[in-house]
Amino acid sequence: MKWPLILAGILLLAAPAAASGDHPAGVGRDQTLAARPKAKTIAELVARYDSESCIECHEEAHEQWSESAHSRSLFGTGRTALTFRTAILNGLMTWKASGVKELKDVRVEHLMGCAKCHLPQLADATDDVAREIVLDIDAWRTAYLNEDDDKADELEETLSSLNINCLVCHNRNAITHKWTDGYPRTDTVYGLSSDGDTEHEDDVFTRKEASPIMGESIFCGQCHGEGPNFELENPTQCATAYGSYLFAYIPEGGHRTCQQCHMEESGLGHNIQSYRAQEMSDKAVDMEVTTQAVVWRDVSTMRPKATVDIELTNQAGHGIPDG
Amino acid sequence: MPVPQRMGRGDRMGRGPYEKSGFLQDNSLPPLRTVKTSYDIFFPVEETEKGDRTIRTYPSDTMDIDVKLWYLPFGTKDDDAFLWREEKHTVSFDNSGS
Ligand code: HEC
Ligand code: HEC
Ligand code: HEC
Ligand code: HEC
Ligand code: HEC
Repeated sequence: MKWPLILAGILLLAAPAAASGDHPAGVGRDQTLAARPKAKTIAELVARYDSESCIECHEEAHEQWSESAHSRSLFGTGRTALTFRTAILNGLMTWKASGVKELKDVRVEHLMGCAKCHLPQLADATDDVAREIVLDIDAWRTAYLNEDDDKADELEETLSSLNINCLVCHNRNAITHKWTDGYPRTDTVYGLSSDGDTEHEDDVFTRKEASPIMGESIFCGQCHGEGPNFELENPTQCATAYGSYLFAYIPEGGHRTCQQCHMEESGLGHNIQSYRAQEMSDKAVDMEVTTQAVVWRDVSTMRPKATVDIELTNQAGHGIPDG
Repeated sequence: MPVPQRMGRGDRMGRGPYEKSGFLQDNSLPPLRTVKTSYDIFFPVEETEKGDRTIRTYPSDTMDIDVKLWYLPFGTKDDDAFLWREEKHTVSFDNSGS
């Protein structure tokens, strides 16, 4: 007569253990775009963060963004995609414990050393997508070298469709402190204002809300780097502008945000730029030059010379250049 | 520019983001700080021997100085180079002798 009771006891113990192992701790984490079943192709990943619908009402933001490096954060000018490839050939494939012997061994985990910032949504895809990206980059390079323009253009288009777009910034990565502020919802765009009106005209993203960090430097800082990325099995290091902002600009008394300089005062809005835009390079460095002729007397010899004193003051919010 | 350390060890610079970790050196322009550099440029001189004496003459007592600040993202003027600032100065010394 004691058996049923013992069985019940075991079941009660087992059930909660399984539940806490399957579900992430954060409340609402399973309600995000990131938590949907993993994308199995590049096309599926692009579809998940598809921002085409935003264009019709936010044309200016879209035009500006299209000019920025964020709109081609994986392909870049070609250099970024090629450096992904170099990272595999000269890095992953040469390291004894990476598990990568050929291009097709590359998994999401391997690419996150770069995608963490260049394509954070890759974390929401399967290893098949990582492989597809790597093989596409390789095929693009081959087509480019063989002057097969049609093929190269087609692959460039595919690779450029993977980028940091409206929904990456205004949804997926709009909240850094998710336990404090809640996880980004699948029906909401996160912006600056908090006028209390949560209605938003988009068919899918029917709500709008303020992100507490949209106007703060930490928002940009999540991708603009501090130093070695220690959370990775094999740390990478690329951009370090946010580290420089935190530990050099702020200590010198600087108090502007990334957004103030790059989006507001520059007048460039979503066309977030560096030295390539004159609006930025004009503000980057103050140069003060003083010159003087001096007749220098070297023991008994007169040696007239010009002295040139140059003072450079970096007016940006971080070291120049970065990285 | 910042000089990243290769794999965070030793004296070698790392170039690719997959091998950079830490810094060995940083010559970038630090934010909000003034970096000063000075140059001495001697006027061209012509020397002629006259007996045991050397006579020095200065073909010109003025010098045009063109100061240019270039930003070279890839370290060369051939590829993606940006001229940020340019200033022209002229200096002269008193070449009247004694
Ligand atoms: C049918 C028109 C329409 C579409 C489609 C649309 N929006 Fe909006 N959106 C608006 C209007 C109107 C506002 C409020 C006025 C404003 O801030 O420009 C707004 C506001 C916003 C804000 C500011 C929210 C805040 O509270 O600060 C963001 C961010 C935003 N939209 C992003 C998007 C994104 C991303 C998409 C595509 C997924 C999108 N919008 C699609 C019309 C639209
Ligand atoms: C911490 C975030 C972060 C990581 C990790 C990261 N990058 Fe970057 N990377 C950036 C940012 C931001 C920029 C642009 C800003 C800059 O140059 O400071 C950039 C710039 C670049 C550039 C220069 C693009 C150009 O044309 O000027 C290349 C190439 C590049 N990254 C490749 C990689 C590769 C390959 C990896 C992985 C091994 C990687 N990055 C890892 C954030 C990162
Ligand atoms: C790299 C990240 C990033 C991307 C990509 C991006 N935005 Fe923004 N967006 C911002 C930031 C940051 C602000 C706040 C700017 C400020 O502080 O002045 C902003 C502001 C806005 C606003 C005004 C918000 C308000 O409350 O006034 C709208 C609307 C908007 N973005 C729409 C878009 C649309 C549409 C796209 C895609 C075409 C887009 N954004 C792409 C970062 C981004
Ligand atoms: C989701 C990650 C992410 C966020 C958020 C982000 N960036 Fe970027 N940003 C990148 C990457 C990656 C690149 C480089 C792409 C490439 O290789 O060309 C870049 C490029 C840039 C560049 C051009 C650098 C160059 O060398 O020309 C500037 C400037 C910039 N970002 C500023 C900002 C600012 C300001 C913000 C905040 C409003 C911001 N970024 C938010 C990832 C991000
Ligand atoms: C005080 C104004 C100011 C602030 C604050 C500021 N920037 Fe900049 N930033 C500039 C100027 C000016 C340039 C152009 C010089 C250049 O490209 O080197 C620039 C250039 C850049 C570049 C290209 C760097 C390179 O290698 O040339 C990146 C990336 C960047 N900023 C990102 C950021 C991020 C991220 C933040 C916030 C953490 C930020 N900036 C804060 C003014 C600012």
